[in-house]
Amino acid sequence: MENILEVKNLQVSFKTFFGEVEAVRDISFTVGKKETVAIVGESGCGKSVTASSIMQLLPMPPAFYKGGQILFKGEDIVTKTEKEMQDIRGSKISMVFQDPMTSLNPTMKIGKQIVEGLIKHQKLSKNEAHKKAIEMLKLVAVPQPEKRVNQYPHEFSGGMRQRVMIALAMVANPELLIADEPTTALDVTVQAQILDLMKELQDKLNMSIILITHDLGVVADMSDKVIVMYAGQIVEQGSVNDIFKNPMHPYTIKLLASVPRLNMKRDESLHYIEGTPPDLYIPPKGCAFFDRCDYAMKVCKDHMPNPEYHNEEHYSRCWLNHPLAVDVRREGSVE
Amino acid sequence: MAEPILSARNIKKYFNVSGGTLKAVDDISFDIYKGETLGLVGESGCGKTTAGRTIIRLYEPTGGELFFEGQDIYKIPRHSMKPVRRNIQMIFQDPYASLNPRMTVEEIIAEPLEIHGIYKSEKQRRERVYELLQLLGLNEEHALRFPHEFSGGQRQRIGVARSLALNPKFIVCDEPISALDVSIQAQVVNLLKNLQTQMGLTYLFIAHDLSMVRYISDRVGVMYLGMMMELSKSEELYDHPIHPYTQALLSAIPIPDPEIQRSRKRIILEGDVPSPIDPGPGCRFADRCFYAIDECRKVTPEFKEVRPEHFVACHRSGEILAGTAAMTK
Repeated sequence: MENILEVKNLQVSFKTFFGEVEAVRDISFTVGKKETVAIVGESGCGKSVTASSIMQLLPMPPAFYKGGQILFKGEDIVTKTEKEMQDIRGSKISMVFQDPMTSLNPTMKIGKQIVEGLIKHQKLSKNEAHKKAIEMLKLVAVPQPEKRVNQYPHEFSGGMRQRVMIALAMVANPELLIADEPTTALDVTVQAQILDLMKELQDKLNMSIILITHDLGVVADMSDKVIVMYAGQIVEQGSVNDIFKNPMHPYTIKLLASVPRLNMKRDESLHYIEGTPPDLYIPPKGCAFFDRCDYAMKVCKDHMPNPEYHNEEHYSRCWLNHPLAVDVRREGSVE
Repeated sequence: MAEPILSARNIKKYFNVSGGTLKAVDDISFDIYKGETLGLVGESGCGKTTAGRTIIRLYEPTGGELFFEGQDIYKIPRHSMKPVRRNIQMIFQDPYASLNPRMTVEEIIAEPLEIHGIYKSEKQRRERVYELLQLLGLNEEHALRFPHEFSGGQRQRIGVARSLALNPKFIVCDEPISALDVSIQAQVVNLLKNLQTQMGLTYLFIAHDLSMVRYISDRVGVMYLGMMMELSKSEELYDHPIHPYTQALLSAIPIPDPEIQRSRKRIILEGDVPSPIDPGPGCRFADRCFYAIDECRKVTPEFKEVRPEHFVACHRSGEILAGTAAMTK
């Protein structure tokens, strides 16, 4: 598969009053054409920072790229100037944000917000752009688009607003869509509508998607590849089946076990992860999951585990999976 | 489980808004039995939170009767509610907003004790606070700290400690886990379940996370636009939903298993939830329902028992049960 995006050893930090926060610590992954890659993890694990850094949307300062490359079709985003980025943002890479309430301008008509992008990126005339805006609303299945185009965001329901956000992101046929918790603020029935819409558009427009979410059900539904992040690092990566059927990192195993399954007995108790993620002011020297892991060993505290490959695309960073480690039977494994 | 601790009969809560009357809760009836958890699910705006608040009379009801341990608490004058409130407590959704940031944990947990004048000496009161902290897996040192020093999961436990301070019999949990991370949700849910067995508590558990509700509840009620659509034992409801809305709602939950999730058939509802302001006659779900017939748009269906302990408000429930209902969409 042709790779559209290649992130290589990316490091992103924030300068704060107390010191440097290492939000993303040396991560690498690729996104293929028409592929959907999901990034999962708890709040603060660096998944949103990763997404924003691909679009250069982080406020700099305090944020800065500490190292690594983000290659979008071979070109490094990290070194692009703001002006160059403006040609990429929205036209080649687009983003859908979590909260459609706050990401739309409340004082502008929906149509105008869509038209703005069209005039900028596709150099259309006002009239053409207006027609195209109606077409876009039709594409995302907003009923009565001719009327809706002249309404303000507050006249739209949450699901409809998220559709508008998607329409906005789709305006210029982007090759990569970054969706940061696109359905978290929505109800399940609306979520189902939006996810279906995203899949349909992906098929139609041959788009790649990076999906950031903490809902493992959504991940199972949408993604081809899954990246599990913890404390700014990728602790496990693999195909969606590898991750759900054969998770290898204790964190992934626990994360999967903390979600109630619909066939679960009511007297079974849910697994949960004791404690909180480490502070990234002074990131731990060894494995970041050390204090919360049931299988922690001495080596985990002081030495960072390297990726161990379980098959071509599935790897985890855990000393337990080192070829020399003793075989431990993992409790709480999903199977 | 035979005896209901709480019986709601035809509860109504209307709000007057510019444009008409918003019927947030419209004529719902149900029982909650001693020691059980009743889950209440529905999408945003369906009135589940309003129902929870009306039940404990945080909102003054527009109509209906509510019997708590045999006494109609809607008939008690408001200023005499205090003794009743000792037995009914609430856990709120947002642990960041529901704890006063200027009070220490001890002050927060002791406040209900103070209001109800339970302890004579400060020492006794402090001991009770320590006892509660311990019960929830926190320790004495935490008593003098402020809410901002705690993580989300810990804060929610402080909220739970406060609600338990008076040894209540019944607790309304209004989305107690929605604001928490997945790994921490499980922790709070396990805790609530353990406390229930230990102290014989009864819960009304309001949430929109349907798989969590199934896990924690004995019985589950489904609300749509201010009305109760279906109510039954949780296994029964999830395995054999009758109401078309429940069917659609359940089919929309994404299951965290790629094989199952990708092979199942989903019912995708069209359109949005209509406005609850001055709704017309008939079933509130009729416009989006794939079984709707003319009658559904004219007559509000009765909420009736179609199978033992399985209540549904749908004109076509009989046909759906028999498998003979023809889709109209």
